[in-house]
Amino acid sequence: MTQGAADRAIELVGVQHSYGAAPVLRGLDLMVRRGEIYALLGGNGAGKSTTLSALLGFIAPSEGSVRVCGIDPVADPGGARAQMAYVPENVSLYDHLTARENIAYFLALAGNDADASVIEPALTAVGLASQAWDRRMSGFSKGMRQKVVIALALARDVPVLLLDEPTSGLDPRAVLEFNSLLDTARERQVAVLMVTHDLVSAVDIADRIGFLTAGRIEEEQQAGEGVRFDLNSLHDRYAGAGQVA
Amino acid sequence: MSPVCLIARDEWRALLRNRAGLLASGLLVLLVLVASFTSLERRAAIEADRERYQASVDEQFDQQPDRHPHRMVHYGQFVFRPIAPLAFFDTGVDSYTGNTIFLEGHRQNSANFAEARQSSLLMRFGQLTPAFVLQTLAPLLLIFLGFASISRERERGTLRLMAAQGVAARQVMLGKLLAHGVIALIIGLPAFLVLSGFAATGAAGWATVLPMIAGYAAWLLLWAVLSVVVSGLFHRSRDALAILIGVWMVGVILLPRVLPVMAEQRTQLDTNIETEIALHRKLADIGDSHDPEDPYFNDFREQVLDEYGVESIEDLPVQYAGLVSIEGERLTTGIYADSAARSSARENAQNALVHDFSIISPLIAIRQLSMTLAGSDLASHYDFLQQTEAFRYNFVQRLNRMQAELIPGIGGEDPRISAEYWQEIPRFHYQAPSPFSRPSDLIWPAAVLLGWLVALSALAAWASNRLERNLR
Repeated sequence: MTQGAADRAIELVGVQHSYGAAPVLRGLDLMVRRGEIYALLGGNGAGKSTTLSALLGFIAPSEGSVRVCGIDPVADPGGARAQMAYVPENVSLYDHLTARENIAYFLALAGNDADASVIEPALTAVGLASQAWDRRMSGFSKGMRQKVVIALALARDVPVLLLDEPTSGLDPRAVLEFNSLLDTARERQVAVLMVTHDLVSAVDIADRIGFLTAGRIEEEQQAGEGVRFDLNSLHDRYAGAGQVA
Repeated sequence: MSPVCLIARDEWRALLRNRAGLLASGLLVLLVLVASFTSLERRAAIEADRERYQASVDEQFDQQPDRHPHRMVHYGQFVFRPIAPLAFFDTGVDSYTGNTIFLEGHRQNSANFAEARQSSLLMRFGQLTPAFVLQTLAPLLLIFLGFASISRERERGTLRLMAAQGVAARQVMLGKLLAHGVIALIIGLPAFLVLSGFAATGAAGWATVLPMIAGYAAWLLLWAVLSVVVSGLFHRSRDALAILIGVWMVGVILLPRVLPVMAEQRTQLDTNIETEIALHRKLADIGDSHDPEDPYFNDFREQVLDEYGVESIEDLPVQYAGLVSIEGERLTTGIYADSAARSSARENAQNALVHDFSIISPLIAIRQLSMTLAGSDLASHYDFLQQTEAFRYNFVQRLNRMQAELIPGIGGEDPRISAEYWQEIPRFHYQAPSPFSRPSDLIWPAAVLLGWLVALSALAAWASNRLERNLR
């Protein structure tokens, strides 16, 4: 993996942000390269979702810089968002639309092609049964809904994938399928930033794991060549990160 | 397709797949059509009755035998006000003011036989007219369809997802406004088609129909925009719904009923009994023509004798009693006219207060615009009263002149003139005024409706900026 600037799909340098008088991000430095899966772990209120909001341009940091594929999401939110696909936590999509129509609608909103040649491979990739593709989502389980959102992200075919608790609501088999999707994304040189509480899933799939505590990365661990993370030590570390300053 | 159009198209698709929304919209459309049909039928029936009764009373008047003209002054005439063509759409104050007046000498009667006094109690709560459906019920449907348009996107997380696809909050707002604006116009379409059909057949002029359609389109758009904007301002759909229902209750139900009461408290009208007593006092103050010592009529007699150059009333070439009737009618008519003008001025002051408040309750504005264009407003009623009064005065004075000029040549104990004279008396023909003869009654309501739309558009712009800031 090269270390050049062009390789840096996601880059936050010294980012600070407060909600009113309460500081949330306090000098956050974070970088994710193309073809890398980064798992951002942290307790409630550590600033994980705010980090995603900064990348999406939903908030303007008071200090520091944010770049997505070299684009400032505050100065050019449209340009930055065109480089990213985002899987929010607990999104329910539209019950009055089918899975296929939901994806087509959001792809069209993003200005992407929304035909079957784009949508069907994505739905196949997330393992949603083809019988469900043309059913209205009102009858979908939480896991099925999550798969549709992930399919939408895949169909966007963009260099950056932001995932907010992506395995929440997925059964173990679906988690494995999801992880294999992320493997595929990595092979396609997609940079993945995954905000999660799911340590097991993070250990299984991430190339790097960062512990966010009180608005900054307190510690980062990287998987070595052929060497995965030590789950037990990470668990102890993670339990400590949950103590928000 | 632009994101704005995509969002609008999806909103329409959501409505088409929402059985409850479709059913409610279908029912409202049906209600407009039923109201149009029943109002047209009612108008046709009332018009047929009016023509029949008018023809009947005219015939009876013509068939009166040879009589003393003063008997005919008291026999009088009934006149019926024709219903304006568009009054089927908005009955306005017609149902409460009465459309029939008995015209006779010495007094100015008020209009009678108001429908509301003769019909069931239910009608007093408002007739089922297309105007009632559009003014009162359509806003409720638009609230029901629009209250969650943006707040639900936020609740289910799709607003963030849309933003993540590069859609700006302004585009979401515009898309929803476009969708619900078109839905509002579709809801009004049956009524607009009925009005257009009425104009196309020549029953009403396009000059009144088109502003009526434009006014109701603005009214419906106002509620559609309000629903979407409030939906964008609140995080939870149920809060948006509660606020919108509150606005509807205050603006459509409460204020239009409370304001007239306030106006009545501020500018009180005399009761019928008070008016009658005051009139009798003033009539008594004029003097008594039968009293030989009455100063006013003594002066009058001297003037008449001077004018004709004679010494006594027996030497007059005309009947003195007829001249006294002419003078008496002139004086009593003046007193009635003063009283009517005072009463009218107070009612106008009350209406002005209510209309000033149309800034906070645009229902008052659309109601005024609609009634004025339909010819069923209070000003049209006053115009009818003025025309009938002018006719009454000429009718009575003509008979008084007959008495003065023709009776001396007949003589006898019971002098009568030929019945042919009654048949020569012209009949009352009401000329409805053009609604454009009172521009302020149209311009102010139109300005209020447009002002609301402009203010809501500014609020929509502010709400979309706030939405953008709150995406986190």
